[in-house]
Amino acid sequence: MNHNRQSNDGKHDDDSALSDFLASLMDYTPTIPDELVEHYLAKSGFQCPDVRLIRLVAVATQKFVAEVANDALQHCKARQAAVVKDKREKQQKVISIDACF
Amino acid sequence: MSHGDVKSTRDTIKSENQQRLSLGRLKADEFGRAVSKIAVAQICESVGFQGFKESALEGLTDILVCYLCDLGRNASFHANLAGRTECNLFDITRALEELEASHGFPSASDIGHCLVGSGTVREIIRFVDSEEEIPFAQPVPKFPIVRNGKLIPSFEHMNEKPPGKHIPTWLPAFPDPHTYIHTPMWNERASDPCADKIEQARQRRKAEKALLQLQQRLVCNGSSGTSTSLATDAEKEKVQGGESNPFLAAPLQPGEKDVSQVVSPAKPTDEASKGDHVSMLEAFAPAIEAMKGGPSDGEKLHLPEKRAAVHFKFRAGKKILGEPLDLSLQKKGERGTTAFLRIEERDDKKRRAEFILRQTTEFPMELNQS
Repeated sequence: MNHNRQSNDGKHDDDSALSDFLASLMDYTPTIPDELVEHYLAKSGFQCPDVRLIRLVAVATQKFVAEVANDALQHCKARQAAVVKDKREKQQKVISIDACF
Repeated sequence: MSHGDVKSTRDTIKSENQQRLSLGRLKADEFGRAVSKIAVAQICESVGFQGFKESALEGLTDILVCYLCDLGRNASFHANLAGRTECNLFDITRALEELEASHGFPSASDIGHCLVGSGTVREIIRFVDSEEEIPFAQPVPKFPIVRNGKLIPSFEHMNEKPPGKHIPTWLPAFPDPHTYIHTPMWNERASDPCADKIEQARQRRKAEKALLQLQQRLVCNGSSGTSTSLATDAEKEKVQGGESNPFLAAPLQPGEKDVSQVVSPAKPTDEASKGDHVSMLEAFAPAIEAMKGGPSDGEKLHLPEKRAAVHFKFRAGKKILGEPLDLSLQKKGERGTTAFLRIEERDDKKRRAEFILRQTTEFPMELNQS
C-alpha cells in the first residue's frame, strides 16, 4: 500500500513535471525549426496536430546531435593533446568525419 | 565559423546550395537538407567547435535527418500498434527509448514502469534546462509547397452525358471528338459572283483614285508658282495658262527655286499665281468631286499651304513626270485647254490612258525642239 501510494505520488510528480515541461517547451525555441521537423515526420508517417510534441521531437533530436558533437569534441581534444609537436598555442577545434562515429 | 576547406558562413552554405541548384541536377529534398545543414552548424557552434570540414557537415546532416525519420517511424509504429493513427506523448517516449536502448538511459532496466517517469524524458528536460536557447538563424517557410493540380473537368462539370450507362458522371470527361477523329473540311464561304464583281470594281476604282491623286499632286508641283521672283514673260504665260488648266503653266527655269504648292480646295495659296489656282480649282472641280468618295480623300487634300523651297537639278536626259508635262503643255496653248476640258467629261480610265499617251508621244518632240 505504501509502495503504491509512493508510486502514485511519484506519478503525480512526474505528471506535473511533464506537463510543466510541455508548457515550457512553447517558450523554448529549438535550434531545429518546426517546419523541418514536421516535413521529415510527415515523410515517415508521424501524424500529430500538437505543436508541443513537434517541439519535443525537435529538442530530442537537437540533444542527440549535440551529444554526438560533444563526443567528437572530446575526441578532437584528446587527439590534439596527444600530438607532441604543437608549436601553436591555440589550435582550431575542427570536427572531422571520423570523430563522428 | 570557419570552414576547414572553404571559408563558410551560413550565407555561403546557402549560396553553395543555390549554386548546386542552378546546375540543374536537383536531388530530392534539397531544401530540407540545406536547412538541416544550417541547424547542424548552429548546434556544433554551441557545443564549442570553431570550424568543420564539408564532409563532416554532410555526415552530421545525414545523422540528423535519419534520426528524425527513425523517431517518426517508431512513434507512428507504436501508435498503430495501439490502434491509433495520431501519435501522442507516450508513442514518442517509447520511440525515444527504443533509439537510445543501445546507448543506455536511466531507468532502462525498470520494466513495467509508467512512461511518464521515463529516463529519456527526464534527460530531455535536463537538457532544455541546461542548454541556452539558440533559435534557428533564418525564417523557414512551410514546405513542401502544395500546388493545386489542374484537374480534367468531370462529365457533370461539362454538362455532358457520358457515352454509355456504365460510366458515372463524376469521372473526367472524354476529350472532344475533333481531337481524335479526322473530319473532312468544307469551304463554307458561299461564292457570290455578283458581289465578287462589285468588290473587284470597287478595288479597281480605289487604285485609280490613288493614281489620279498622285498625278494631280505632280501636276500641282509643276504648275505652282515659285517663292522667288519670276520672269515677267513666264508670269504672263502662267496667268494665261492658269486660267484654264495647270498644264499650260510656265516651265521652271534652270536655277529657279520651285516651291511645291499644294492646293487645298478651299484656299488659294500663292499670291503670284492666285488666278492660276482659282481657275485650276475650277477646272479640276468636277474631277475632285468625282473623286471624293472616301474620307481619305478629304484628309489628303488638307495639306499645308506652302512648302519649303526645294532645289531641283535639271538634267536634259532625265525624264521627270512633272517637267515634260509643263514643256509639252506650254507649247499647246489654247488647244491643250479645250483638250483637257474634253477629258474631264470622259471616264477616269480613259482620261488616264489619254494622258499617258499624250505624254509619251509629245515629250520626245518637245525635248528635241527645246
